[in-house]
Amino acid sequence: MEPLAKNYVGREYSMKKIGLIVNPIAGMGGSVGLKGTDGEIYKKALRLGAKAVTPKRTKELLSYIKSRKEISLVVAPGKMGETYVRKFDIAFKLIGQTPKETSAEDTKRIIGKMLNGGIELLVFVGGDGTARDVYDAVDSKIPVVAVPSGVKIFSSVFAVSARAAAEMVDAFIEGTDLTEEEVLDIDENAFRNNRLASKLYGYLIVPNVKKLLQAGKEASSIDKSSVDSKNEIARYIVKHMDKETLYLLGPGTTLKAIANDMGLPKTLLGVDAIYDNRLVGIDLNEKGILKLLKKYKSKKIMVTPIGGNGFIFGRGSKQFTPEVIRIIGRENIILVGTYGKISKLECLRVDTGNFEIDKLLSGYIRVVVGEKEEMVMEVRC
Amino acid sequence: MLNEIKLNMNEMPYPPPKEIIEAAQKGLSNLNRYTNPKELELLREFLADYSDVSKRHIILSTGSDFLLREIIHVFSKGRRVIMVNPSFFPTVQCAKEFATKLIKIQLRPSEFNLDADIITNETNEPSLVIVDNPNNPTGKILIDREMAEAILENKDVLLVVDEAYYEFSGATFADMVEKHPNLSVVRTLDKAFGLAGARIGYLIAGENFLDAFSTFFTFLPQSSLYAAIEAMRDPSYIKKNIELTIKERERVSKELEKIGFQVYPSTTNFLLIKTNIPDIARELKDREILVFDISNQWLPGYIRVSIGTPKENNIFLSNIKEIHKVHAWRGHKP
Ligand SMILES: Cc1ncc(COP(=O)(O)O)c(C=O)c1O
Repeated sequence: MEPLAKNYVGREYSMKKIGLIVNPIAGMGGSVGLKGTDGEIYKKALRLGAKAVTPKRTKELLSYIKSRKEISLVVAPGKMGETYVRKFDIAFKLIGQTPKETSAEDTKRIIGKMLNGGIELLVFVGGDGTARDVYDAVDSKIPVVAVPSGVKIFSSVFAVSARAAAEMVDAFIEGTDLTEEEVLDIDENAFRNNRLASKLYGYLIVPNVKKLLQAGKEASSIDKSSVDSKNEIARYIVKHMDKETLYLLGPGTTLKAIANDMGLPKTLLGVDAIYDNRLVGIDLNEKGILKLLKKYKSKKIMVTPIGGNGFIFGRGSKQFTPEVIRIIGRENIILVGTYGKISKLECLRVDTGNFEIDKLLSGYIRVVVGEKEEMVMEVRC
Repeated sequence: MLNEIKLNMNEMPYPPPKEIIEAAQKGLSNLNRYTNPKELELLREFLADYSDVSKRHIILSTGSDFLLREIIHVFSKGRRVIMVNPSFFPTVQCAKEFATKLIKIQLRPSEFNLDADIITNETNEPSLVIVDNPNNPTGKILIDREMAEAILENKDVLLVVDEAYYEFSGATFADMVEKHPNLSVVRTLDKAFGLAGARIGYLIAGENFLDAFSTFFTFLPQSSLYAAIEAMRDPSYIKKNIELTIKERERVSKELEKIGFQVYPSTTNFLLIKTNIPDIARELKDREILVFDISNQWLPGYIRVSIGTPKENNIFLSNIKEIHKVHAWRGHKP
């Protein structure tokens, strides 16, 4: 039995069990001009006098949650959770152990215990790296709420602020639908050298909170949930697909929605191929793709940009290599993405590692964002 | 509610002269009657004179947003609608609902340039191009005469230029309407004239638009009509309000830049501001200052702030300074 915390009040049965995990070192690089706290950088940050940011974010989060009385938190001891929770009138229970120097393994281990303990939602405070650890541990078992506390955060899974995260928790308590958001694999070393190399790492499930309406006649809201938008795009694309064309579908939930609309399965992170309403390739690598390209005359690629940074073809893609793109040709690239994602991008980006291909791809291009709606975006390299 | 500082709808913070308010009050004494068509004609004459076009091109409406909607309803059939993103939101929303195909060109910082080529490339099919010029929310003039001429050369294209902020920018295509049947200009008295509550908009319509509007007739509300006539009788009052607004705009902009915010050049009565402080619009709202958060439709981290009276602007500035201070120790740059 885990020991009961001092303000445990025994009303847990009527309350939602929510896990809270804090990465105490996330975001420390920022105050001393470093990017991220991967590996050795953390020690360097400490030497430079970096201060912890997560405690403040966590306190903000807790102070904004309105449904505190309906929540029973499960937290790790000390600086991974307990320390902040104690200051609030909120029921909690301790789980696991927090070592002096925390690591990714601790995050994963403790989340594992929380899941076994039956939490229904996991709230975590951290950065892109923390999100990857959470993804490794949670996958799509339960929804999460991600509180941003890093220097520069790219994964769309994060709420815009601690306050917005608190609203997501409240929405979850009240009952709301769910949606999938991206977790990115940012190469922090490359980022520190002013190059942004990122790829899709996976998806986490989050409460789908519609943006609050603003007062006035220019009231704006994302009027459709991202799930509905993806389905709308999928219906439109499928209606216009040609039976005699090979379609290579890239990673992501939008592409998955397209395959699903045809009644076909789709790997979330891989490239799958469709011809004449049939799957003709699953989780293909470059070799597999090139083989198919030889076999079919008419061929198209469908991809969705990565949220937040707009990469459509990035370095390190084992699938859509410069050779594949050259054979397909720019005019046979179909771009799709929800308006919510695309409108937030300054431009689309390519960094295939091949200058000529990057040049070929740059310029203006259309992205299908809805049944009747397209956006013209600039592709930059 | 009444203590709120409204910097979210690009209104003129100064009320119009008392003659105009008295005229509006006079309108109230006739509430059981429809407006007199002769008086509507008088307003059209004034507006034609003011815009330097012949009266037949002037179409009146309650608010220019309504005209933009009407244009989309009537002219998007069989045409794709082309707009920029971001743009005046109600127009976008209407196009989204009614257009058979909507194409939005994403504007990108820090220049927000609209390439002439993009529009000409996209108009290879019959198109209705709607551009707010200057653009809301960037405050930038997006198309110049040369570009407009290039777009209008294609007879399959209808170009509608929304000049809601014309009096601030000084740039207009109104004089091109008589020569170009496929051009229309939308204007309003709600902004620079300080008559937002009266809701008077007008269209300076090119020949190709006129037919569709021949049956479009609005009895404007009596008070609004009287206020508008009085305003147009002597529009000189707007001059000092505009000058003060522009002076304030430049002052607010400089002050914000001093704190470290990125502020973009504006030709309107509002400023586009970039910030890394999350949820800043809500923090301002907590302090009863309303600004417009654009992040729902565009890139994250941008707000649009209307220029108020010097006093309102000072309150805005001191609050944003405080918010910035709080965030500075949290590690956020402005
Ligand atoms: C670009 C633009 N067009 C049109 C309007 C609508 O003005 P009106 O009050 O005439 O409907 C606005 C108001 O904010 C605007 O910003």
